[in-house]
Amino acid sequence: MTSLRETDVLIIGAGATGAGVMRDLALRGISSILIDRSDLNAGASGGNHGLLHSGGRYVSADTRTAAECHREADILKRIAPHCIDDCGGMFVAVEWDDETFARRFPDHCRDAGLPCKELSTDAARTREPALPGTVIAAYAVPDATIDPFALVLGHVDHAIHLGDSAYLPHTAVDVFEIANGVIEMAMCRDLRTGAETRIRARQVINAGGASTMDIAQRAGCSDVKLLYSKGTLLVSNTRISKGVINRLRVPGDGDILAPGGTVSLLGTSSVTVPRIEDNRPTVAEIDHILAEGTQMLPVLETTRFIRAFSGVRPLLAAPDAGGNARRASRRFLLFDHEDQGLKNFVTIAGGKLTTFRLMAEKTADLVAARLGNTAASTTSTMPLPLGDAIRWTEPGLAARDWYRRADPSDMIMCECEMVAQSAVDAITADAPGAESHMSLKAIAQRSRIGKGACQGAFCAMRVTSHLYDTGVYDSRGGLELMRAFLAERYRGVRPVLWGAQLPQAELAEILHCGLAGLDLMGSSTTGEPE
Amino acid sequence: MLKKSAETATIDFLATARALLPEGASYDACVGCGLCASGCPASGMFGMDPRRFINMAMLGMNEELSTTPWVWACTQCKRCAYICPMGIDVSLLVGASRSNWAKEDKPKGIVRSCAAQMLDESTSAMGLRSEDFVEIVEETADELRQNDPRFAEIEVRIDKPGAKFIINQNSREPAVEPEEMAPIWKIFDYVGADWTYASKGWAAENFCMFSGDDEAWRDMVKTRVDAINDLGAEIWVNTECGHSFYTLWKGIDRFGLEANFEPASMVSLYAQWIREGKLPVNSDWNVDNLKFTVQDPCQLVRKSLGDTAADDLRFVVETLVGKDNFVDMQPCRSANYCCGGGGGFLQAGMSKERRAYGKRKFDQIVTTKADYVLTPCHNCHSQIDDIGAHYGGAYHVTHLWTLICISLGILGPDERKYLGPELAAIGLPDPQ
Repeated sequence: MTSLRETDVLIIGAGATGAGVMRDLALRGISSILIDRSDLNAGASGGNHGLLHSGGRYVSADTRTAAECHREADILKRIAPHCIDDCGGMFVAVEWDDETFARRFPDHCRDAGLPCKELSTDAARTREPALPGTVIAAYAVPDATIDPFALVLGHVDHAIHLGDSAYLPHTAVDVFEIANGVIEMAMCRDLRTGAETRIRARQVINAGGASTMDIAQRAGCSDVKLLYSKGTLLVSNTRISKGVINRLRVPGDGDILAPGGTVSLLGTSSVTVPRIEDNRPTVAEIDHILAEGTQMLPVLETTRFIRAFSGVRPLLAAPDAGGNARRASRRFLLFDHEDQGLKNFVTIAGGKLTTFRLMAEKTADLVAARLGNTAASTTSTMPLPLGDAIRWTEPGLAARDWYRRADPSDMIMCECEMVAQSAVDAITADAPGAESHMSLKAIAQRSRIGKGACQGAFCAMRVTSHLYDTGVYDSRGGLELMRAFLAERYRGVRPVLWGAQLPQAELAEILHCGLAGLDLMGSSTTGEPE
Repeated sequence: MLKKSAETATIDFLATARALLPEGASYDACVGCGLCASGCPASGMFGMDPRRFINMAMLGMNEELSTTPWVWACTQCKRCAYICPMGIDVSLLVGASRSNWAKEDKPKGIVRSCAAQMLDESTSAMGLRSEDFVEIVEETADELRQNDPRFAEIEVRIDKPGAKFIINQNSREPAVEPEEMAPIWKIFDYVGADWTYASKGWAAENFCMFSGDDEAWRDMVKTRVDAINDLGAEIWVNTECGHSFYTLWKGIDRFGLEANFEPASMVSLYAQWIREGKLPVNSDWNVDNLKFTVQDPCQLVRKSLGDTAADDLRFVVETLVGKDNFVDMQPCRSANYCCGGGGGFLQAGMSKERRAYGKRKFDQIVTTKADYVLTPCHNCHSQIDDIGAHYGGAYHVTHLWTLICISLGILGPDERKYLGPELAAIGLPDPQ
């Protein structure tokens, strides 16, 4: 079955940039269809520290990126405070770090216009008791953290509410139909149902993150060149620090511990990979990150980690960086592809989560101009609204919300994060990407389900049961979606299986294999009733 | 409803857990299995349960945990800790939270009971002073000597130096039902034990632990330990009461006190004397084959002596009522459910919650179809009696001493308050 949809702009890639462009355009009165082959935040926008960089990380090597980060972070703190934990940050050097490099940090900050305050070792340890006595230099900077899931949900939701825009998950472009230097039609496929959708758009934006190179090539453009750098992170069971703690040295692995609401994220590694599919965290990476991180924070030695995950940074391949991803630019580039013979195709590539809004603004400027729309971008001042269906990604929110009500008829589905069935119902009814037979993974992405210590051991079964009870699932497909979700979780759990996480995994195995027999389920076509 | 005033400090529960709990058994080790929550009769009250307590600590919900009245619905029975595969003890954190509540916000009944204990060296929560106790004991003993010629010579000593046993007596008997003291005297007399009461620190209750007032708990224990040391007794025997045993047994260790005596539970003494043939009890009196079950006092079994005490308890009961007439509740022994009478719940003025808590115990009892519940613990006794009346149970609740004296044919007519009509006249001496 083929359907035809028409829109002003087709945006490919529902990461922060794609969502940012969608909202920016909607605010100018331009409608769009946003598609993603997977779902929101599926790439680097989901696989990161959630760090809203002050810019401190880049002051020593790239003043411009540092200054850009600083400006953009300030804007985001104003327009989307509910997505941000303005926790502050610190750059810390410990014994055996290069003290000369460390002492130049304040000068570099000044050059980038970044506020930076020197802290004595005692002051640093008062602020962050997890720091060791071996601190030799510490500087406070205005780092913050951002919930990238809330951010993207908020942008897409706002755009949808502003007008005719739509979001289509698990939809990818098969073929572009091009004539006379114009993409006339994007032949897309719903990867879940196999149905074909033809999308006719006046402009096409490639915001595919790590896939931008591939998407550009499908449109016949060979000018986008990326370097794929895999970064792996570990998630701890509880929050270890109040603010962000950065290692003050030439950027390396295991340098950053960032709070993620109720947990902490330690990372990253930087491994140049040939393909974006190479994004599994490995035991070797975990060991390496921990060995590095422990030098700065010995507490990590005994910290319980509940999972690991990887993201692939789509970096612009710069000729001078060679293969070293740490030296590759964090800048972004907008390709108008006119020299490739296309008039209605743009690609936005590179950049950082912190600068996504600026990337979206520049992209929307170009596309709006091509469409003859003269409205200016308002995303630097227009607050990002928050709705009931999109507020559940905030760590601890579901728990506090439930505790306030303590309504026993609103059963808790996820014990670790205390997510109630009413939250699940709100998401399956109204969140961007809500659809019939909505996958557990998609629900989890829009909430805290599966994020706690048990990594879905209980909530996967409870939520799935609830979805059967409420008729969202009506076939064996629901069980398969549950198994797929658990398999995805286990991929991240496996490399951190030591200490308390081992019995945790044993318990999950008892539940999923011993009780539910998921290992014996076999596979059938997803969604097909038996 | 209990409410905590805003000024009270907020506890950092994760940090407290790290300080209070042994390495490897901090909240961080929780695997979320929920064995604690499913076995906790306080689960669901105030939206809380033990697992939720842990998860909320993990999520940093310190304000909520510092103010939830649930800490007064948790009886600190430690079933969650016993059953936890990771060795986590939520009750310690509940204790920390109770301590943190401002005195004026705590349940008044518990605070008053502790305050009463602090008033006099008697340490009685019912405010019974030492001289009152001495007078009541002497009067009651005189009456016994006069009313029953078999006990005309019975000795009831107070402050006798060098006695082998020293007995602590729950205030309820001297204050409200002094005739209930006599069965214990008769039993000790029967086996020829050399025993005494102390006029100081004689009471067997300690609400200061429940009110979360560690200093007062310590003072309480210290007064009693000093009194026992002063008299030079070899063995301290707590009456049929759970928490009072725990507070002294645990308090000695917790507060590093010097105790020159061995603690013993009354139940284990009964068992020992039966085994030694000193208490020749049997079930011959149970001609109607009445059915009996027992409540394992959490404080005595799970929290103090473990299943050894549960074994002794069953040995005593099976001997007394007949093996076939004993029906255990399930789960039982160290895994039993708290009845809801502990933790100061009976004094907390939270009857609705206390009875809701006790419903699980009531259902367990009813399932056994027992005619009698034996409770070697005063709080269990009161609570199980109360929930029986509240939920319409047909069972009676009795102390062990009553049955021992029935079996020995020495239970007086005025010592049958807790017996049903079928036992009201059994074993009474023939009327003259």
